[in-house]
Amino acid sequence: MPTILARRNFLSLAAAGATLSGWLGRLAASAAEQPAAKSCILLWMAGGPSHLDTFDLKPEASDKVRGEFRPIETSVPGIQISEHFPQLARQMQHAAVLRSMSTVESDHQLATYHLHTGYQKRAGGIAFPSLGAIVARELGWADFPLPNFVCLGSGSRLGTRSGFLGPDHQPLDVLDPARATDNLAPLASRAEFDRQYQLLRRLNASFDEAYRAEPARAHASALARAVRLMNAEQRRAFDLSLEPEADRDRYGRGSFGQGCLVARRLVEAGVPFVEVISGGGVGWDTHQGNFPRTKALSLEADAAMASLLQDLHDRGRLDSTLVIWMGEFGRSPQITSGGGRNHWSRAWSTVLAGGGIRGGQAIGRTDRDAAEVVERPISVTDFLATVCTILKIDYKRQNRAPGIERPIPIVDTSKPIEIITELL
Amino acid sequence: MFRPLVTVSVLLACAATLRGDEAAEIAGLIDRQVLAGLEAAGLAAAPPTDDAEFLRRIYLDLHGVVPSAVSVHRFLESKDTDKRSLLIDDLLASPRYGEHFADVWRTRLISPVVNEQRQQTERFTAWLAERFNRNAGWDEIVKDLVTATGKMEDNPAVTYLIEGRNPLGVTDLTDLSSRYFLGVRLNCAQCHDHPFVAWKRQDYWGMAAFFAQIQTPQRAKLVYMVGVQDNPKFTLATLPTADTIDGYQPEPPTFLGGQRLEAAGQRPLRVALAEWMTAPENPFFARAAVNRMWWHFFGRGLVNPVDDMHSANVSSHPQLLDQLSREFAESGFDLKLLCRAIVGSRTYRQTSRPGQQGEGEERLFGRMPVKVLSAEQLYDSLIEVLGPPAKAPAIDARLGTRYEFTQFFAADETGDPTSYQRGIPHLLRLMNSPQFAGRSIASLVSRTTAGRSVDEATDELFLATLARLPTAAERELARQQIAGAESSPTGYRELAWALLLSSEFALNH
Repeated sequence: MPTILARRNFLSLAAAGATLSGWLGRLAASAAEQPAAKSCILLWMAGGPSHLDTFDLKPEASDKVRGEFRPIETSVPGIQISEHFPQLARQMQHAAVLRSMSTVESDHQLATYHLHTGYQKRAGGIAFPSLGAIVARELGWADFPLPNFVCLGSGSRLGTRSGFLGPDHQPLDVLDPARATDNLAPLASRAEFDRQYQLLRRLNASFDEAYRAEPARAHASALARAVRLMNAEQRRAFDLSLEPEADRDRYGRGSFGQGCLVARRLVEAGVPFVEVISGGGVGWDTHQGNFPRTKALSLEADAAMASLLQDLHDRGRLDSTLVIWMGEFGRSPQITSGGGRNHWSRAWSTVLAGGGIRGGQAIGRTDRDAAEVVERPISVTDFLATVCTILKIDYKRQNRAPGIERPIPIVDTSKPIEIITELL
Repeated sequence: MFRPLVTVSVLLACAATLRGDEAAEIAGLIDRQVLAGLEAAGLAAAPPTDDAEFLRRIYLDLHGVVPSAVSVHRFLESKDTDKRSLLIDDLLASPRYGEHFADVWRTRLISPVVNEQRQQTERFTAWLAERFNRNAGWDEIVKDLVTATGKMEDNPAVTYLIEGRNPLGVTDLTDLSSRYFLGVRLNCAQCHDHPFVAWKRQDYWGMAAFFAQIQTPQRAKLVYMVGVQDNPKFTLATLPTADTIDGYQPEPPTFLGGQRLEAAGQRPLRVALAEWMTAPENPFFARAAVNRMWWHFFGRGLVNPVDDMHSANVSSHPQLLDQLSREFAESGFDLKLLCRAIVGSRTYRQTSRPGQQGEGEERLFGRMPVKVLSAEQLYDSLIEVLGPPAKAPAIDARLGTRYEFTQFFAADETGDPTSYQRGIPHLLRLMNSPQFAGRSIASLVSRTTAGRSVDEATDELFLATLARLPTAAERELARQQIAGAESSPTGYRELAWALLLSSEFALNH
């Protein structure tokens, strides 16, 4: 089924009690205009994974730099990655490794914000929307009963806020993907819930009549949208008990694996942006014991990401779903006395897969120690503008933020941007 | 909020410090100016609130929480003609006053980024609360914040200078200090001369120069270990990676408005800045505080946006702003006096129900706007009504319940009290999470309804949740709900749930 039909699945909507009038018209119109509505899954590696121990190994470097892991061959001749991504290695034809990320923030919070929003955080300044909110706004549907942006897994939400795009684009946060439906079902019986909600609507209507206040209308509208989601057939996308046990095992039973499975289900139901957090908190922040921790997190990420790509491919959805693997920065080439690596933003790696990109490539190059970029540096704005372009979002489009006079482009265009055209 | 309020006798003892007459005078000033503004526009003031509307509003504005059922009963049943003034005295004397304003100022002064470092946040909040409660002058508080030195664990005021700052702390502190203490947005002037306003890059960097002595030359994180210290060798010219800072322009220390610092001598530059800022004759300081406080109570400032005060941005009530600012400076920047004057005014005691007037009514304060409960107000109010929260599996309890809740429900950085910013995730949580919606509601129901007739029980539920009695129509709705329910406890639970999820509970009207 084409994506567009899935996102706007009118049968489910009808079941949810939505009105069909005007709806089929738009469905038909948009199907004609925009046959490839895309989705995006961001796999967020919180803490900053070591590029030297994942996707940019340096077997020739000195003992103080090289690390313990061996590179392995992948399905694409000439591209090698860490031995702890064995399943992903077999899917490299779908993926592109970007080895020349070069960014400016080396603090977790500031870098997380910068990589998600494309803007550097300034105290008391403009609250910029994260990529998820931007995609939700650009590709999401107002009439859609599911939230257009879902964030799965525990960890800081600093990078995932909707900022000046407002509450309609705030993500639905699910801390434990295996319990994603927790707040979607009423505590009381269905009948009791319906009765109490009817009463609530009447109380709200009389308050609104008496006070005619904008916040009261906004509250009633948010309530109505939340209740619509509770009633919508698509809420089943959150329900992992509907998946075969074997598939749940295949993704990995941890929060990240189960999160990737929920992400796949949400994208299939039409959600345009899902973020899944790996390493809750800052798990990839391996100042000590880099190797055992990176190995465990890599294996977890490998099973989940490879299963996700495989399933999306098998279901004909990979070309319309861009999967991003990234953290906030890389890690220092020098191994510390505690067997760790420190923060490193000058040169590091990310991975893109699916979404119709040209896979099977390694883009950019770092020096012998993976310390500096020697070929094709990619800035935060280069990266995000490329992601937008892949998703068919005009990254130069300008937004208005309340109280700010100047328009704000989706991606900061104040410095030159170089799109990674090799991917397109 | 479970603390008993201070008794009247204690209050009488410290009545000398309450400056009741001065407050009444200033309240009169407010009412005359606001009324004159309305008359000039051909509008009238809205009718006064009833007791219930006043009670809930003033609790939320001064204590950040809805009144307890006991307080509601006591206040509504009291025949004392002076009961509103007595209540205000009580509320201002309770420690809860300082705790609420500490919540309000904490969310402005330290970025949500770092609220993850909870201990510092809590120490900083307590530091602020202590000062608000003993009614330290606003000049003293700001001076302590701007000039703080040492480590956060020894001097919580330092938290303002450290927490949530960009490693280029100098520029962030310039933004924040001018925004919150001077009511001026300088941040655009960091990179370009402001198109409409007098602020130039020179103004921005002249102010930034005062913070240059506390730059952290090496890793920004070092500041956690060594604390904040002034180093006279540091200037804007020594800022590390100056070339990467947007709009960088090394200026000598210059006070906003163009007056250059003569000679700092041995004193740190920040001390000179703080003294200039908090001097009674400073043209920005008192006005910024008055405008903020007005905004807190009325949901909009006398100048808007509240932190963008400049000559081309004209106040709706220029004379009132001038007079209030003068009074505030002359009082020694007495915050409780300013609060008392505002809530004592007739203007504050108007209903928020709309009149038939339309255009200009809200802008000229001819009606009280409806404000949204902040995350802290919502949490504290739910606890006031329902008692301590229950464990909920979907909530990360490691973060601490109030802390986690307020992070989840936090509004954007503008903190606009009239802007509703909740969406699907927030409402799902309020409706369906056992944290509040489950057993807590059941126990509220058994507390309030046991042994009572349907009408009596309905009254109690309304008083406990919305701090008022139901209207006749609402009483009828409740009767139908109870009669149609599976059992009467179920019916009451439905009613209590609906009241807690209602717009009225979510808002401060």
